[in-house]
Amino acid sequence: MTVPTVESARTWFSAQKIAGYGAAAFAAVFVLYPVYFLLQAAFDVGDPQVRPPTSYGLDNFSGLFQFPQILLNTVNVSLAATVMALVFGFVMAWILARTNVPGRRLFEQLMAVPYYLTPLLGALAWSLLGSPESGFINQIWRALGGHDHLIDINTGYGIAWVMALFEGSVAFVMIAAVMKSMDPSLEEASQVIGASRLRTMLRITLPLVVPGVLGAAIFVFAEMLGSFAVALVLGLPSRYYVVTTAIYQLVQQYPPKIQTAAAMGVSLFAVMFIMLFLYRRIVMAGSYVTITGKAFRPRVADVGSLRYVLLGVCVLYVFVAVALPLATLLYASVQKIAVAFPVAGNWTLDNFRTAMSMNAVRSALGNSLLLGFGTATIGVVLMGLLAWLIYRSRLPASGLMEYIVMFPQAVPRLVFAFGMMWAWVVFPIPIYGTLWLLLIAYITVFLPLGVRTIAGVMLQIDKSLEECAQMCGASWAFRVRTVTVPLLVPGLVAAWLLLFIASVRELGASILLMGPHSKVITPSIVESWFGTSSELTATLALIQTLVVAIAMIVLVAVTRRVGAQPVD
Amino acid sequence: MQVSHPAGPVSAAPTPHIEVHGLELYYGSVPAVRGVSFNVLPGEQLTLLGPSGCGKSTTLRAIAGLEKPTSGEIRIDGVPVYSSTHQINVPAEKRRLSMVFQSYAIWPHMTVFDNVAYGLRVRRASAPEVIDKVGHALSLVQMSEFAGRRASQLSGGQQQRVALARAFVFSPSVLLFDEPLSNLDAKLRADMRIELRDLQHRLGITSVYVTHDLEEALAMSDRIAVMRDGLIEQTGTPDEIYRLPRSAFVADFVGSANLIRGRLRADLAVNDLIALETSAGHVVYCMAYGRPVRAELVVSVRTVHLTISSDRPAATQNVWSARIGKTVFQGDFTQVHVDWGDQHLIARGAAMEPIAVGQEVYITVDPKRVVLLDA
Amino acid sequence: MAGIKNRNVTRRTLLKIGGAITAVPLVGFAAPGVLAQGQTKSPTKVLDFMTNADVAKAEQEGQLVFYCHENEPGTAGIVEGFHKDFPKINTSYVRAQTGALYNKILSERSAGRFDVDVIQLSDLAPAVDFQKKGGYEQYVSPESPAYKAEHLSSPVGSFFWTGVDPAGIAYNKAKVTPSEAPKTWQDILDPRWKGVISCKISASGLQFVQWYALRKLYGPGFWKEFAKQNPHAFDSRVQLFDRLAKGDDKITAIGEYPAYILFKDKGANVEFVAPPDGLVATPLIVGAVSKAPHPEAAKLFVDWAMSKRGQAWYQTNPNLYYGSVRTDAPPMPTGVRLSEFKLLYPADWDDYASQRDVFSKEWNGMLGL
Repeated sequence: MTVPTVESARTWFSAQKIAGYGAAAFAAVFVLYPVYFLLQAAFDVGDPQVRPPTSYGLDNFSGLFQFPQILLNTVNVSLAATVMALVFGFVMAWILARTNVPGRRLFEQLMAVPYYLTPLLGALAWSLLGSPESGFINQIWRALGGHDHLIDINTGYGIAWVMALFEGSVAFVMIAAVMKSMDPSLEEASQVIGASRLRTMLRITLPLVVPGVLGAAIFVFAEMLGSFAVALVLGLPSRYYVVTTAIYQLVQQYPPKIQTAAAMGVSLFAVMFIMLFLYRRIVMAGSYVTITGKAFRPRVADVGSLRYVLLGVCVLYVFVAVALPLATLLYASVQKIAVAFPVAGNWTLDNFRTAMSMNAVRSALGNSLLLGFGTATIGVVLMGLLAWLIYRSRLPASGLMEYIVMFPQAVPRLVFAFGMMWAWVVFPIPIYGTLWLLLIAYITVFLPLGVRTIAGVMLQIDKSLEECAQMCGASWAFRVRTVTVPLLVPGLVAAWLLLFIASVRELGASILLMGPHSKVITPSIVESWFGTSSELTATLALIQTLVVAIAMIVLVAVTRRVGAQPVD
Repeated sequence: MQVSHPAGPVSAAPTPHIEVHGLELYYGSVPAVRGVSFNVLPGEQLTLLGPSGCGKSTTLRAIAGLEKPTSGEIRIDGVPVYSSTHQINVPAEKRRLSMVFQSYAIWPHMTVFDNVAYGLRVRRASAPEVIDKVGHALSLVQMSEFAGRRASQLSGGQQQRVALARAFVFSPSVLLFDEPLSNLDAKLRADMRIELRDLQHRLGITSVYVTHDLEEALAMSDRIAVMRDGLIEQTGTPDEIYRLPRSAFVADFVGSANLIRGRLRADLAVNDLIALETSAGHVVYCMAYGRPVRAELVVSVRTVHLTISSDRPAATQNVWSARIGKTVFQGDFTQVHVDWGDQHLIARGAAMEPIAVGQEVYITVDPKRVVLLDA
Repeated sequence: MAGIKNRNVTRRTLLKIGGAITAVPLVGFAAPGVLAQGQTKSPTKVLDFMTNADVAKAEQEGQLVFYCHENEPGTAGIVEGFHKDFPKINTSYVRAQTGALYNKILSERSAGRFDVDVIQLSDLAPAVDFQKKGGYEQYVSPESPAYKAEHLSSPVGSFFWTGVDPAGIAYNKAKVTPSEAPKTWQDILDPRWKGVISCKISASGLQFVQWYALRKLYGPGFWKEFAKQNPHAFDSRVQLFDRLAKGDDKITAIGEYPAYILFKDKGANVEFVAPPDGLVATPLIVGAVSKAPHPEAAKLFVDWAMSKRGQAWYQTNPNLYYGSVRTDAPPMPTGVRLSEFKLLYPADWDDYASQRDVFSKEWNGMLGL
C-alpha cells in the first residue's frame, strides 16, 4: 500500500493551477488591459495629443450633455427595438413552442437564420428597400399612385425595426427556452378548474414567463445600446446618431475627439453594465417555478384552423427577416443603378466581376475565414478552461473570474476596440496591425459568448461524473481527457460554430483594428458602402453570406462525421 | 465497542482504518459539519444516518477528498490525508478510496465494460488483467451479459450494479457510498440492500455508507452514527441505536417513539427502576441505562412497545387507563392514537383486537422499554 | 517622441538641400544634375520616367504599404497601376477619410509603429502638419521639375500634388429642372433644397476647403444659412452621387467632378454645375513617409506617381479621374483640361490650416455631433 504524501498533493495542484490560472491570467490581461486605456482617455482632460495624460478630471463626462439629442436617440432606438424584438420573439416563441402550427421544426431552425445573416446585411437590404426616395417599396408605392413615401427607413423607428428583425431571433431563443422549461401541469391545473384558454394565457402563462421575458428584455436592450452596424448604415444619411455611431464619428474626424468619445464609451459601458447586472439578478433570483432544470414536454395547444393564420405569421416573419433582404440584395447586385422596376440595359454582372477582382475583399474574406477558424479553435480551448475554472473548480477567485470574463458583454465592441487600439499600439510585442491583434480582439470580445455556451453544457453534466473519475484515481489531466472533454464534445462543437460565425461577421471591433495586412470582410463591406456604390456593396454582402453559408455547411458536415465516430 | 466480523481481523485492538477527528466544514460562514469525530475499523461498515442537511454527505465527501474541510484531521491507515494543523490535503485521486454516487455517475459515452475498467486503466493494468478483473467484477454484480452495452441503455438498477462493480474492481482500501440506493424504487431497494451487504462481506472491505433511510442503515451497518445539524448525536450498533436512543431526536428518527416528560419521583424508585410523574399525574417507570438522572426527565417509548388491552393487565407498573382517539390501518400494522391524560400516545401493533373510537382501554409498557434520554 | 526629434536634426541638414531645390523650376533641365548631389546616386530611367530609387532594391523589398484617403476602388486602383508597372512589388493599403487616416498614422507613430511607406491625403493642412512633425521622408524626385512650386511642398521633397479634385454643384435631372437648378454657390441656400441637399462629413479635406473658400467669399453667415438646410452628410463622393442618381437627394452642395464623370458613364441622370465664382478644389497630396519599412519602393512610387505615366493613370482611372497639375498634363477624359476650370483654392494655406478646429466645430455642430 503506497502512502499518500504531502509531495503528491503539491504536484496535483500544479497541473490544475497552471492551466486554470494561466487561462484566467490571459483573460484578465486581454479584458482589463484595454479597459485601462479606455478609462485613462475618458478621464484625460489634458492635451489630447500628449500621452500619458497630464491631468485628469470629469470634464469629458460633463461635456456629454452637449449631445442631448444623441443620448435621446440612443434610448429611443434601443427601447423601440427592444419592444419590437420582444414582440417578435414572444409571438414566434409562443406559436412555435406552444401551438400545433404546421412545420414547427422547420420554422424553429429558420428562426436562427436572421442571427447568421447579420444586422449589417439587413441594414443594407432595408436601405435599398426603405429609403424615402429610392427605396424599392416607396418606388412601388408611388407607381401605385401613392404620394411622397410610404416608409422612411432612415429614421429612429426604421433603425429600430431592422435591429428588432434581427435581434428578434435572440429574443425568440431566450423566450422559447423559458416556455419550454415551464411545467405544463401549471396551465393544466388552471384549465381543470374551468378557466378559459385566454384566461389561462393571461393569468398563468404570462406571469410565469415574465421573469424570463424580463431577463430577455434587459439583455436585448443592453445589446441594442451597444449595436452599431444598423445605426451606421441607416442613421448616417439622416444624421440620426446613436452613441456608438457618434463615437465612431468622433474618433474618425480630424482632429479626433478621443476624450469625448472615450467618455461616451465609458458612460455607455456603465449603463450596459448596470443592465446586465440587473439581468443576472433577475435570472438568478427570479428562477421562480419555471426553471427546474428539467425540460418538460411543452403542452401543445390545438388551435384549430387558427393554425393557418399562425403559419402565415411565421412565414411573414421569415420572409421579412430572411427572404426579402436576400432577394433585395440579389436584385440590386445585378443592376447598374438599383431601381425597383426592371429597366432594359440596367442589367449587369459587372458588380460581381468588380467584387471578385477586388484584391482587398478577396484577401479580407480569406482573412476572415482564417480568423474565424483560429478564434473558434483557440477560443474553445481557452473558454472551455475558463468555464471549467469558473463553474466547476472550487479554486478561489472563480467568482471574480466570472465577472472579468463576462465583462466584455457590457462593453460595446466598438468601444472595446477603441481601448484595444491604444493598448496594443504601445505594447512591446509588435502585433498591432496584424491578424494577431484581431485574433486577440475576437477572443476577448467573444469571451462571454463562448464561456456561456460551454458553461451551459458543462452545468448540465452531473458533477459526480467527474468526481467519480477522480475517485477512481484519475489525475486531473487524465479525467479531463477521458471524461470531461468527451462529455462536452457536443457543447464544444456548438461553441466552435458559434464563435466561427461571430468572428466572420464581426464589425465593431474590427473596423478600428484592421491593418493593411489584416483586412477582414465585414468592415470591408462597410467601407464599400461608404466609398462605392450600393450595388457593389450588396454584391459583397451576398458573397460574404454565401461563403459563410458554404463554410458552415462544410463544417457541420465534417463535425457530424467526426461526431458519429465513437469517442474513446 | 467492537463487533465481530467474518472478514475482520482476529487479533485484538486493531488500529482504525479511518479516523476522523474534529472535522469542521463551513461553506462561507454556513456550517455544514461542526466538529465530527469517529473511527472506522478495518472491514467494518459504518453508516452515517440522518435527515437531509445534517452534514452526513459532506462528511463522506470530506473523507473522499471532494470537499475541503475547514479544520480537523482525517487519517487513513494512520496517515493523515487531511490535517488543518499540518496543512495537508491529499487530493481525492491519491487517497486510494472508491465511491458509489447517488446518481450512479455512469459515463454515458462509454460501454459498461469501459466504465468498470476505468479505475484499472488509470492504474495502468495490463489488458489481460483488465479483462479478467472486469469480468469478475461484472459477474459479482450479475451484469456479465451487459458488458458491451452503452451505459445509457441500462435501467436504474443495472446502472447501480455497474457503479458498484466500477467502485470495487480496482481493490480500493475503502468504499464510500453516498445514498447509493435512494434513486431506486422501494422493491429494488430492498433487494439491493441485501446484495450490497453480501458483497461487502464477501469483499471484506471497509466502508462508509451514507443514508437517510433507517431500514437501510439498520439492515446494512456494523455501526451507525446518527447525525443532526452537523454533529453526531449517537454512535452504536444498529441494535443499540434502536433500543437505547440517547436523545429525543434519535429516538424519533430511528423508528417512531413516544416522548414522555415528567418530574422525578425519587421516592417511588424501585430497584434499578426510576419513577417520574407526568403533568397529568401518571407515574411512569423507566430505566436510566447509565444516563444522568435529573429533576425533569424525558423518556422514550417505542410505539411498538405500547400494548393496548380492554382488560386490566396483570403488571403492576406502567399500567394506565386511556381512551382510543382514532385508528389508522396501515397494512402490516395498525396505528392507534390514544388520549392519555393531557397528551396523545401512539401505539402500533400487528394484531390488535377490534377497538372502537372512544373506548376506554388500558395501556401498558415494560419499564425496561422505557428509556431515559440524555438531555 | 525621440524618433521625431532625431528626425528634426536630419531635416535641418536637409533643409539646406531643400533651399537649393526650390530654385529647381527656374534652373530647368539642369535640375536632375543638381538634385543628384543630394542623393547617393544619379537618377536612372525606368520605363519612361526618371527615378532616384534603386529599382532592384525596391523590388527586393517586394512590398509597398499605401495609406490613402480615397475610396476603396480608387485606392485599389492607384496601387494596381503601380503594381502593373512593377509586378515584383506587392501592394497593400489602408483607406480612411483624410482626418481618420491622419489620426491613425499619428497614433501609430507616437507608439513607435512604422508600417507605412507612402501616404496620400486630400487636405493640405494635415500634410503641412505632418511635414512639421518630420513625418515625410525627404526625397526630391527627378520628376519634380514638371510641377510648379505651388504644387510641391515647401521646401520641396516632402510631398507633391498628385492631382486636384474640383467640385461644383450637382443635381438629379429627373427631380430638378434646369431652370430650377442652382447656378451659383448662393443658390444652394434656397429653402427649396431643405432636406434634399447633401454635403460631406468634417473628416473630408475637400469639405474643409469648400467651407474655407466660400466663407472667404460670402462671409461666415453663408454656412450658418446652409445649416438651416438640414443637409445629409456622407463620407465619399461616390455615396453622394449614388444618392443623387437615385433621387434620395435632389442636389449636392459639393459635387466632385470625378464622381460626376463616373456616374455619367454609368448612365445616371445627373448634371454638373460650375458656379461662376469657381470650383472649390482640394489638392491630393502624396509623399513618402519617413522610417518607411520599404524606403526604395516608397521613392519609386513617388516618382511613378509624379511621372506622366502615373499622372495619366490617376487622370483616366474611372474611380479616380483626378485633374493633373503637371505642367504638361493632357486633357481629362471629358476633353476638358483642368486649367480650363476656374479653381478656388485657399489663398493663404497657413491661415487655412489654422481654421481647422473652427471648421470641425461648426461642421460637426451643424451635423449634430
